[in-house]
Amino acid sequence: MNKFLSDKYAIPRNNPTKSDKLTNGLLALFKSPVAQILLFTVIMGVIGQLSMEKILPYSWTSAFATTFSYAIAAVGFCLLMGYSGLASLGTGGFIGIGTYSVYYIMAESGLPFLLAVLVAILVAVVIGAIVGFISLRIEGIYLVILTLGLSEILRNLYMVLEDKISFTKSPVILGITITRQLALYVVLVFLAVVMIITSNIINSPTGRAMLAMKNSTAAAQAMGISLMKYRLLAFIICTVYASISGTLLMLVVRNAMASQGTGFYALITSLNILAAVIIGGYKSIWGAVFGSFIMYGLQTVVLNNIKFLAENPVIITFVSGILVIIVVMFYPGGLAQLVLELRVKAKGLRTKMREAKYGKDLG
Amino acid sequence: MAYFLNTLFGSITPMCITALVTMAITLIFKTSFTTNFAQGVISAFGAYVVSSAFAKLGLSLWLSLPIGMLAAMLIAVGVDVLIFRNGRYVNALGKQIITMGLISLVVGVIPLIFGLNDPAFKSFVNGNFTITLSDGSVATVTKNSLVCLALAASVIAVIFILLRFSKWGLSVRATASNEYVAGMMGINTHIVTAISWGLAGALGALAATINASSGTVISGYFMTNYQVYAFLAGILGGFSTFYGPVIAALMIPLANNLVQYIVNVAGKPELTGWSMVIVYAVALVIIFFRPQGIFGKKIARKV
Repeated sequence: MNKFLSDKYAIPRNNPTKSDKLTNGLLALFKSPVAQILLFTVIMGVIGQLSMEKILPYSWTSAFATTFSYAIAAVGFCLLMGYSGLASLGTGGFIGIGTYSVYYIMAESGLPFLLAVLVAILVAVVIGAIVGFISLRIEGIYLVILTLGLSEILRNLYMVLEDKISFTKSPVILGITITRQLALYVVLVFLAVVMIITSNIINSPTGRAMLAMKNSTAAAQAMGISLMKYRLLAFIICTVYASISGTLLMLVVRNAMASQGTGFYALITSLNILAAVIIGGYKSIWGAVFGSFIMYGLQTVVLNNIKFLAENPVIITFVSGILVIIVVMFYPGGLAQLVLELRVKAKGLRTKMREAKYGKDLG
Repeated sequence: MAYFLNTLFGSITPMCITALVTMAITLIFKTSFTTNFAQGVISAFGAYVVSSAFAKLGLSLWLSLPIGMLAAMLIAVGVDVLIFRNGRYVNALGKQIITMGLISLVVGVIPLIFGLNDPAFKSFVNGNFTITLSDGSVATVTKNSLVCLALAASVIAVIFILLRFSKWGLSVRATASNEYVAGMMGINTHIVTAISWGLAGALGALAATINASSGTVISGYFMTNYQVYAFLAGILGGFSTFYGPVIAALMIPLANNLVQYIVNVAGKPELTGWSMVIVYAVALVIIFFRPQGIFGKKIARKV
């Protein structure tokens, strides 16, 4: 509050020069979430390009593509858990909605890829609304188990429909054939769009209504917030993101088996996404992206370079388990909280340095 | 008729396993107020220990079983003492996520200790009983499943008797109803919780051994299916009682096999794969209309 007032009503001590205006403008631009997200996307795109040209390790392309596909689901989950206070273990099943809808639509009707994704989103909206309705009656741990059951229904359904599906033909988007390598760019575009939409939702009245609902359902209702509307909305967004993530995963990985215990749609995916959001910090979409990197990308990008770990990949599973436990026990706000604390400390340090140089600020 | 009997006999082992796992999960839910997602992998660890005890040390399966149960028990108690006791102020969701972290931890530890090969396993007893019916058809039941039934039934019966009549049972029920008040009344809730975890680990190892002895290949995740059944059974039966979840646990595999039976008798064998979808859907509809579970009591709160 104080900062807001002081920014707006502070009297400039001397008139800003033209270059000051420029730097201030650039700073403001950099602080806007949209610019940060776009910058991030461009940097990742460049890294992907470098890795495709084998300047960086070639395996990075698919590692980043997988990570960011899962990150889309994680961002949706972040909105659901961090902002609406609802927990679900249905992510695995929801991811399959996208995969199977797109697969069948493209096989049956021959619609182009993007239109098929649109139809898959509609399917996800319907299923998300159903889960949202359920969440009105059942809460807490019970809701978690119920969504787990729902996810298992979906997984059994996939097993019956077609256990193993594979995208043999590369889909075409805007005249470009998307090979497994090019999938990274599609994933990045989708991730940027999803992150921008989500950060706008978080900073809009909708996001504040969700936050109110999370903190106290009774108080939120007293303020005129419709529980039904926002719970449905939260679940719909989460399901839609998960289904987009499933579609993109198929672009990257190309085949999946539903009956596999460690497959895409199994409980383990839901748990990993949850762990990603927790490690990253459940109230920050950047945390969600970083958490999915730890769960899905860290192994290929960093740890496989260490010889000992590349020879014993099980240790990574073991360490990620310990990491999750430690974060939950000692840093309930996740790595985002750690970053925030570091930033506050850095600010304090900077103030101290300035004081040592110029003396205390008396104004 | 023989087909119907075979369906029933085929359900014996899954029913035993689900009932044991559900009992374990209910015990932990009631005393630690969390759903233990690591139940499956801790059970699997027990099965690995059993396997190496008889394959490498040359013990009989009957002697290996208690060793495996002890190992799983130690892990579970360790989890409670080292993690949950220190993280008392972690909220409900945090506790669940810790158990999820345990999954990765145990799955990572298993290959380090037992190697990457598929562990060997065998049945308690080999052979079948055959029943010839009046119309000449034959129903078979494996001796192993009967042994498993006897084991599981006696263990669950003992636990229920202890819960109902022993001092330990009273303290578990007191802790379940209110941990703080139970502590104020002089019950050592730490020990109650630790015993529940240990018991849950042992029950899980027993369930995993039964599952493996009926021919399932052991892997880190091989109990996950039953764990999911157990969670569903927990809310289907209602976590507010101990017997509700166990009864629901008996119903789920039976219902699954019965749906398959009905579908096959009705002449639509292509629908067999849908049996679990149907069972889950029916269970979810029941839960939707009775969120407290079939046997659960609705807890009314003063506002």
